[in-house]
Amino acid sequence: MSLGVDPHQGVERLSVPVSGWREACQSALADGERFCGAFAGGSGSGRRWRALFARGASTRILSTAPEGDELPSVVDFLPAAEWDEREAHDLHGLRFRGHEPLRALIAHPRDASSWTIPVEGEGVYEIAVGPIHAGVIESGHFRFHVVGERILLLDLRLFYKHRGLERAAEGQELAEGLVYAQRSCGACAVTNSVSYALACEAVLGLATSRELRRARTLLLELERLYNHLNDIAAICAGVGFAPGNMAFAALKERAMRLNLSLAGHRFLFGSVEVGVSRLDLPSAAVDQARGELRELRHDTARAWREIQFAPSVQGRLDDVGVLGHDDAARLCAVGPVARASGLRQDTREDSPALWYGSSFAAALPPVADGDVAARLEVRALELVEIFSMLEELFATPVRPDEASSAGPSTSIGVARVESPRGETVCVVEAEMYRVRRLHLRTGSYANWPSLVLATAGNLLPDFPLINKSFELCYACVDR
Amino acid sequence: MFVLLRHLQRVRREAALPKRSGARSLAIRHVDAGSCNACEHELTATAAPQYDLQRFGLDIVASPRHADVLLVTGPVTSRMASPLRVAYDAMPEPRLVAALGDCALGCGVLGASTEIVGSLDAVLPVDIRIPGCPPTPQAIAAAILAATPPRRL
Ligand code: SF4
Repeated sequence: MSLGVDPHQGVERLSVPVSGWREACQSALADGERFCGAFAGGSGSGRRWRALFARGASTRILSTAPEGDELPSVVDFLPAAEWDEREAHDLHGLRFRGHEPLRALIAHPRDASSWTIPVEGEGVYEIAVGPIHAGVIESGHFRFHVVGERILLLDLRLFYKHRGLERAAEGQELAEGLVYAQRSCGACAVTNSVSYALACEAVLGLATSRELRRARTLLLELERLYNHLNDIAAICAGVGFAPGNMAFAALKERAMRLNLSLAGHRFLFGSVEVGVSRLDLPSAAVDQARGELRELRHDTARAWREIQFAPSVQGRLDDVGVLGHDDAARLCAVGPVARASGLRQDTREDSPALWYGSSFAAALPPVADGDVAARLEVRALELVEIFSMLEELFATPVRPDEASSAGPSTSIGVARVESPRGETVCVVEAEMYRVRRLHLRTGSYANWPSLVLATAGNLLPDFPLINKSFELCYACVDR
Repeated sequence: MFVLLRHLQRVRREAALPKRSGARSLAIRHVDAGSCNACEHELTATAAPQYDLQRFGLDIVASPRHADVLLVTGPVTSRMASPLRVAYDAMPEPRLVAALGDCALGCGVLGASTEIVGSLDAVLPVDIRIPGCPPTPQAIAAAILAATPPRRL
């Protein structure tokens, strides 16, 4: 066993013989560490299978060398690793002993039986929808096993939008690779870029300055703001409440216009770079932003109050699409979804490379019973928190700044950043200042299996609503 | 509810949108062929009260069978090429194809060459081109409106 500790970045690397892989993962979990992804790294004879575990702000990378293409699976005690193992099989040809059947995830074989779950039972039938949906929605395929109107099981097939972005980033210079992370998803562009930039800075041994942390946090919260407004609008649409949908769509539009005026892009594209921030907001600009945000806060609070007193909305939310606390923990759910199920998981609480101080506390809904109502409420609570943080973040002019050299460079950088949908993990493996491997595991990737579980047992017509309450991306999952 | 409706009224007043100019309409079917989802956000935004594209008789319809325009986003991944063709084949004539965003136009596309077919041109005949990354709701509205058939007397 070799041990390489880099305390400066809070990342510990541990290499484990393949025979001890399961025990190593088990003992990490037994120590109270949280699984946050597994991926194939290295190349050629240096090929490695790595798993990430987190506790607080520190991250541990366990690595092992596969025997040929084979590895022992961990899904029996760590179901959250299911997608990671299936992905590694499809993209990197790894095989996992004990993961049976190992259904295709990213690959789309012609033979449907190799990836679908057979429909069984009396009176059970199947409804297939997608990849093209009825609204303006991303492409993906769902198969519902249904009895009467009740969903027994949801069988997912995503990755219609797989663009091979991680592979395409290989060989790029570190600074140039950022765009692959960013364009993997419009709605998480800032989170993906910040996580990529932080991972690269870890590789380069760079430390972020206070001003750089503030600029990035500001952008992250602006991203969360328009996403949460959008998601509340979407939930209103999911119950057919047009006034709420339109009111929140209008609020979101105002947030987007604010983004444009501050960073020159409605989705804040191009606002994050490796090792530097060019965001320059003189006092007039921050004052104006504060003014606009106060108005937005006021109007948001009013619109939210109205939703709370709209019986046609409230009557649809309770006990629908329930994700219980234990299931959320078992599947390592993240973000608003996890918090709505009473799981205290918010990576902003442990983000020393960003501006959030130790005083930041995740917003938990008072009744965190994991239904649509709780997932809606957690977003409303977070909106209040976002407005307060932005008020502070915009207190003084924002100046451009650079990261400074703080230590030796390493070959792997890891960053975990809270996106509007939960923790996004970015791993960059580098060689000669170029990307050797990029791995992006976004909050949506972590949460899709939880959506599948929360859907079972509900009425089919409630699915769009349940889906909206999770509001997961396809783009950054498919990559 | 009344507060919301009043709020919406105010937004509409401030937006000062011109009145619609006659009875024309266009039914649109959107297909995401591999976008980053920002193009979808902006397309959805055209229905927000600040733009309200529906007042021009423009509607997103659920099926390509009801559509005049196929509005496509993204760089056309190899997995979406065939569903895209199926959607196009289901449309009645006359039909138009719109490429929404730089990806669909084949500009600055990122990704592995094996996973991406290329610009929409390579798959379907494109009639309307809407550049931008993503195009603003105004740009989307202007491009689609320009394609609406002239008013019949
Ligand atoms: S054109 Fe830009 S915004 Fe639209 S899908 Fe492509 S990358 Fe995303």
